[in-house]
Amino acid sequence: MNELTTLLLLGLMEGGLYAMVAAAIVLVYKSTRVVSLAHGQLMAFGALAFWFLLVKSGLPFIAALVLGLACSAAFGWVVERLYMRPLIGQPLFAAFLATFAVFLTLDGIFQLILKGESKSFSQFLPSGTASIYGVQLPITQLVSFGVCILLFAGLALFYRFTKIGLGMRATAEDHQLAQSSGVTVRFIFSAIWVLSAMVAGVAGIALANVTDIYYPLPYMGIKGLIVALVGGLDSLPGALLAGLLLGTLENISAGYLDPVVGGGVKEVAPYVLLLFVLLVKPYGLLGLVRIERI
Amino acid sequence: MWRPCGTFDENYRKDVAIIRTPLRWGLLVAALVGLFLVPYVCSYYVVSFLNTLSITVIVVLGLQMVTGFCGQVSFGQAAFMAVGAYASAVFCANFGLSFWVAVPLSGFFTGIYGLVGGAPSMRIKGFYLAVATIAIHFVTMWLVLHLEITGKSQGIIVEPPRIGSFVFDTDERMFYIIVPLMLLMTYGARNLARTRVGRAFVAVRDNDLAAQVMGINLYYYKLLAFFISCFYAGVAGALWAHLTRVCHPEQFSLLHALWYIGMLIVGGIGSIPGVFFGVIVIRVLDELVLLVSPFLSSWFPWLGSAPAAGLGLSAFGVVLAVFLIKEPRGLAHRWEIIKASMRLYPFAH
Repeated sequence: MNELTTLLLLGLMEGGLYAMVAAAIVLVYKSTRVVSLAHGQLMAFGALAFWFLLVKSGLPFIAALVLGLACSAAFGWVVERLYMRPLIGQPLFAAFLATFAVFLTLDGIFQLILKGESKSFSQFLPSGTASIYGVQLPITQLVSFGVCILLFAGLALFYRFTKIGLGMRATAEDHQLAQSSGVTVRFIFSAIWVLSAMVAGVAGIALANVTDIYYPLPYMGIKGLIVALVGGLDSLPGALLAGLLLGTLENISAGYLDPVVGGGVKEVAPYVLLLFVLLVKPYGLLGLVRIERI
Repeated sequence: MWRPCGTFDENYRKDVAIIRTPLRWGLLVAALVGLFLVPYVCSYYVVSFLNTLSITVIVVLGLQMVTGFCGQVSFGQAAFMAVGAYASAVFCANFGLSFWVAVPLSGFFTGIYGLVGGAPSMRIKGFYLAVATIAIHFVTMWLVLHLEITGKSQGIIVEPPRIGSFVFDTDERMFYIIVPLMLLMTYGARNLARTRVGRAFVAVRDNDLAAQVMGINLYYYKLLAFFISCFYAGVAGALWAHLTRVCHPEQFSLLHALWYIGMLIVGGIGSIPGVFFGVIVIRVLDELVLLVSPFLSSWFPWLGSAPAAGLGLSAFGVVLAVFLIKEPRGLAHRWEIIKASMRLYPFAH
């Protein structure tokens, strides 16, 4: 019983991290209908910028955080201006492939910067563990989970109460109708990429705080994409639900199946879940089912 | 199809011919003879480069079938190649089959495996399918790493092919197996594109619902596309295994699958010559980066001692983005434009 609780709680913490990455991807998909592969890199570079400011330049925590997120926002804006805007009006698949080109370019640069090493943060959070239901959890993980919950609450409030958030929801419904009712769709596209890159930056910082900045970090973006697909590409609650589900499933299946098959279940469990969910519910758990017309 | 003036098709055979004029037949024969002489004339470097190029062409031809013609994006091509490579290695090592039986057999085996891989395409399409094929890649590679028969992370040693006492153990000798097979499979792909099956693929790509209304059995053709594409990947993987004489999971990473998609985009989606353009341009770019990177790292020390991998990826990404934005129909389309303007040369149009 105690083992199950441990796995469950650890899985929830990890799931929170996945959910944040997925949220960034869902934000972009909702309003621009582009599925992004680039977010793994936006995440990694957000974490890298934060690392550079905090550890290399020795700025205080708050200043490094604000500046790091500003860097993330700038990354998002550059991606939108250079890659996405010239492709407005082209088939959506071209935009998908363009995000893939962004991924490759940044992946190369990321390899050049890291040179095979990993960069770790100098413990800016108190180390040690806290005890919940008799389970010892690291404080860093608990803080990351708190950030995840705050982030989703913040996004919900942003979508509900701000003018830009309302514009983003209108754009998500229909681009032309939104344009004709006075929403500047092009501005919304820029804003959405900036916002999403910042969310990815937060996710990257939270993730790198747990795992360090190391080479496969950008590939966590693929896991985020899988979470987004399981939850439904246009549903933020779906992203949270699927993230938590995937995190717990990963840990529990690894905990119980690893001794049986000899390790590595954790790497493959999300993909099996994805294939299963897509076969049963092709639009994800909470995704909007679209009716196709010829 | 557009023809220069004075060229008429007098019967159906001429109308559907791939090679139309005596001049083209002459050029083809000359090119084939030239290709046959390459291992005698050129250095080892050129021959081994042509070998990897040909194997890549076979893989990308398969990808062109499923993605270019049938419109089902597959990121699983590297994993399917791995299935072919391991299948051929196991057929040779454990069942004692000869290379000549094992290669087509591993192609069929990969094709059958590809039917499992293509099964999600019955329910999902577009981005969802693309990500599902990424999932299939990871599941396949996980199986390769954890099954007993594939040698886990150590990989398998593969014997070189032989006829009687003649062993194909150098790149120059393998050249005479790989390149003819590549030409044969190119012909197969080019021929398939003009048959009923090829036209059905294109219909499914352009609008699958409309194709279904016209009486095309969607699932049959989608699965057939996956089967053919995986057959190509399987044969290429088997050749790769016998060329490098080792099967290792790291030879078939997701990054390889991404490179194949990139080659398709640069060459031109839905065109057989485009496969050649894409593969050649990207491979040459890669080699150029390898050549240039030592100089770059001596001029800019902050790049580190081995910048080739990172620089190659970045260059590839930039080229891909430029093509997507400036030339979305790929080099094959540009080639058609150049051909048309050459025919009309002194006149504007």
